[in-house]
Amino acid sequence: MKLRGEQELPIIQIRSCLLVSIQAELHDRLALELQTALMERVRALGIQGVILDVSSVEVIDSYITRILNDIGKSVRFMGADCYMVGIRPAVAMTLVEMGVELDAVSTALNLDAALEKLELLS
Amino acid sequence: MRTVESEIGAILQGAISEITQRSIFRRLGGVARTPLQHLSAHDRQAVQAELESSVRLFAPARSAELIASCARALALLGAPAAAAGAAGAAGLAGAAVAAGAAGGPAGGVFRRAVAGAFPGGAAGGSAFPGAAAGGSDKRIAVTSEKDIAAARLEAWSEAVRIGLSKFTSVKVATAVSELARNIVFYAGQGSIELHARLDAHETRLEIVAADQGAGIAAETLESIFAGTFRSERGMGKGLVAVRRLVDEFQIDTRPGRGTRVSCVFRGAR
Repeated sequence: MKLRGEQELPIIQIRSCLLVSIQAELHDRLALELQTALMERVRALGIQGVILDVSSVEVIDSYITRILNDIGKSVRFMGADCYMVGIRPAVAMTLVEMGVELDAVSTALNLDAALEKLELLS
Repeated sequence: MRTVESEIGAILQGAISEITQRSIFRRLGGVARTPLQHLSAHDRQAVQAELESSVRLFAPARSAELIASCARALALLGAPAAAAGAAGAAGLAGAAVAAGAAGGPAGGVFRRAVAGAFPGGAAGGSAFPGAAAGGSDKRIAVTSEKDIAAARLEAWSEAVRIGLSKFTSVKVATAVSELARNIVFYAGQGSIELHARLDAHETRLEIVAADQGAGIAAETLESIFAGTFRSERGMGKGLVAVRRLVDEFQIDTRPGRGTRVSCVFRGAR
């Protein structure tokens, strides 16, 4: 299953979770497409958790943070959980210094850890 | 057709993310899409030097192996790659001369200066020092969203090149990302300048983001820094985030006259 767009962000289903590996530069339209596609699938497939893998994102600024947080918010509104995994140490430190908020997404060290946490809920 | 992009892309696959690869190739410009056999020796060396710094930065664990593969693909194996590295080192050493930044230009109507963690750092805006001895100056035009990634990568590699720490370099890249985004979102176009200065005691990277956009009204600026402002795209936080990241911060802006943000990162030598 792929989300078609100028740049593609494939959405992969693992059991009752959706996994998106952020491999492209996020911008408004792409973010909206991703958000919409995730919402539709959460509803259609009875998804319990959405995992956003940011391990290949080297820089996360306040704009990207807002996009990810908004995705988390909408996923939560639908009753699923949203996890962000693979944040790099330097990125984490920078986010702390910037004082940005990421209150709508939970975090886990990696994909395995997130799946484990989500499994506990089911 | 075997181009730099296709051949090097195949080598970097799996080691460096596609986002970063795209930025690297964009930095190389037309050369990236040139068939390998049409590249001059000078081009090959330039490409290799560029790839070396990028690979060291983004795939440190496998850099030696990847650099060798790139050199092989560019048919450079042997002396030239080493020569390029030596030239880079010489450039750095040659840059280790103190550079006195000229006195600041008069600020706009509204001026806010915040001295950072370093007590010596009076946040006087530096005039464009041009080709002053001991450093380097770069300018990146920012006119569309894709330039944000390019500016970010340029800043990152500049920070690494002058010896700022890995974490500081990520902070530099993040700050430039914020500033470039503000330019694209709110002014339409502008530029990011990077001024690197090295002296006996410290490394200093000044980032200047300038645009001729609508500018920011004094009261809006106040509310931005008070944390009460939220723009349509939720970007009120960008400037505040930058100010928290940097050692020195200054913004000159006035409605109708554009905005100029100058900030400085410092590292010990």
